[in-house]
Amino acid sequence: MPAIETDGLTRRFGDLVAVDALNLTVEEGEVFGFLGPNGAGKSTTINMLLGFLKSSDGTATVLGHDAQRKSRAVRQHTGLLPEGFSVYENLTGREHVVSAIQTKGADDDPDEILDRVGLEPAATRRAAGGYSKGMQQRLALGIALVGDPDLLILDEPSSGLDPKGAKLLRDIVREEAARGATVFFSSHVLGQVEQVCDRVGIMNQGTMTAVDTIDNLRERIDAEAVIEADVTEVPDTDPVAAVDGVREVTVAGRTLEIVCSRPAAKMPALRALDDVATVTDITVTDASLEALFEQYTGTDSGASDANGATPQTAAASGGDAA
Amino acid sequence: MSLFTVARDDFKNARRSYVVLGVVGVLTALVALIFVSEINVYDHPYRTLFDVSFFMFLVFPIVLAPLTYLAIAGDRDSGAIKYAMGLPNSRAQYVFGKFVSRMGVAAAAVTLAVAVGLVIAFAAFTNAPGVARFAAFLGVSLLAAFAFVGIYIGISAVTASRSRAMLGVFGAYFLLVPFWFGFLPVIGLPDLLDTVADLLGTSIANDTQQFIRALSPATSYLFSTQIVYQGLFPTPYESLNAQIGNAPDKIYAKAWFNALVMFAWGAGSMLVGYLSFRRSELG
Repeated sequence: MPAIETDGLTRRFGDLVAVDALNLTVEEGEVFGFLGPNGAGKSTTINMLLGFLKSSDGTATVLGHDAQRKSRAVRQHTGLLPEGFSVYENLTGREHVVSAIQTKGADDDPDEILDRVGLEPAATRRAAGGYSKGMQQRLALGIALVGDPDLLILDEPSSGLDPKGAKLLRDIVREEAARGATVFFSSHVLGQVEQVCDRVGIMNQGTMTAVDTIDNLRERIDAEAVIEADVTEVPDTDPVAAVDGVREVTVAGRTLEIVCSRPAAKMPALRALDDVATVTDITVTDASLEALFEQYTGTDSGASDANGATPQTAAASGGDAA
Repeated sequence: MSLFTVARDDFKNARRSYVVLGVVGVLTALVALIFVSEINVYDHPYRTLFDVSFFMFLVFPIVLAPLTYLAIAGDRDSGAIKYAMGLPNSRAQYVFGKFVSRMGVAAAAVTLAVAVGLVIAFAAFTNAPGVARFAAFLGVSLLAAFAFVGIYIGISAVTASRSRAMLGVFGAYFLLVPFWFGFLPVIGLPDLLDTVADLLGTSIANDTQQFIRALSPATSYLFSTQIVYQGLFPTPYESLNAQIGNAPDKIYAKAWFNALVMFAWGAGSMLVGYLSFRRSELG
């Protein structure tokens, strides 16, 4: 049984289709990265999975329960770190966790949980309204961990976390996955999910544009290496372009740009170039996951939405990557 | 027991803010002030209760407004609702948990205010107070608290933002207290009904007017306080005799009917609020 399964899940707000016929399957026990720029429909999807929002169409099943009609059963077995979460100002951090334990009927030790998410004992007894964003985020993570949930839904969990906090988050995600929990990790920054996720789905404008394993994504990325070579004199580039695995050679002044579609093509291409020209300098750029992400979220999706894509990709790469 | 957990968290959160202290303190202080200032004016504490009942009729619903209007709308506005509803609470447990918590505060405020009044009456009034009369007064005041807390929390459950909740709560106060009773000159339901009747070339019988007035929880509260003075008439006080003493033998002057009106407003509003909240979107 998949942990999360949606079939044609759709949500419209008036004319805006926030989530458009989403078919998503997250297997039990996997760590799934749910990626996409701001406004892609990620939080809307999560809110439908938890019964906060109604779907306009389609179905969502979480842990075998209908997400819309059996939302309480879903929430009983799910740990949630919500987006736009806020604490009860005058309750202490510890009281939040204690209430979560009681509501779930769990038998966790609140202090153990708070220690696990790195909140100092003194801080856990202060009113949570005075917490920094990062501390609130740690508290929310602690609340999500209550009752050893079968599924963790983390919506932008790293926002507000310092690098130490982000590492703690990754460690906890790994520990929870090792325990057998499914983790659904939503983020607009790919760097935060690539280290922990088995698979990622990239969402853009309400639809899933790619779902693949991190390894496969990496392979595709390795495939996209670019060599920039400075030469004393621009030669005939045909012998280089003829090398197996070289996709394209372009010339700009005295610089050649050689795009390889396979990692193994880089050295043969350089040797071929060395035969016909005097190379003074080279740089090799591996296309990053970020670049691939940008590709899936609009930059290469055609001229018509190039304008719309620019700010999205800016948001995607300019975030608080830890 | 998650209704209990919601109520306890809400109560703790409110208690540590100034709102609980403010509501309990203001109500108690004002009721005490009325008693103290009438020590040398009236010999009988029940006469002071009569003044307190008018004060309660007009001011108590205002005092309850800041206590209640953000109960649910405030959580939705801030995002704290994602905490409460991310846990396996049902919508009903959440809404009624909020109600239990705020009703508890309102009940504590009324009880303390009446108790302080009773103590002052014992200590300083010429005639000793009747404890049963004070208890009856507390009873109908608790029903009024139930009505208004229910109405306000119901409004808070229907609205998604602080500003709308505030508008709704003060709108409800104006409609149900001064407008319905006809407290303000011209702008009032009784005048409006008379005008409409005139235009239609008819008139409204006094009993019908009174019955309609009694359908507001605030007016019903005022009418219901007659049970406090049972067996006292005629009293040495003219205004009390005139306003309460000759209660007509009509349904709107029966304490059970007034109690029913107050209960129905509180329970009905909570039901409407819950039904709306059950379908509302928390995204």
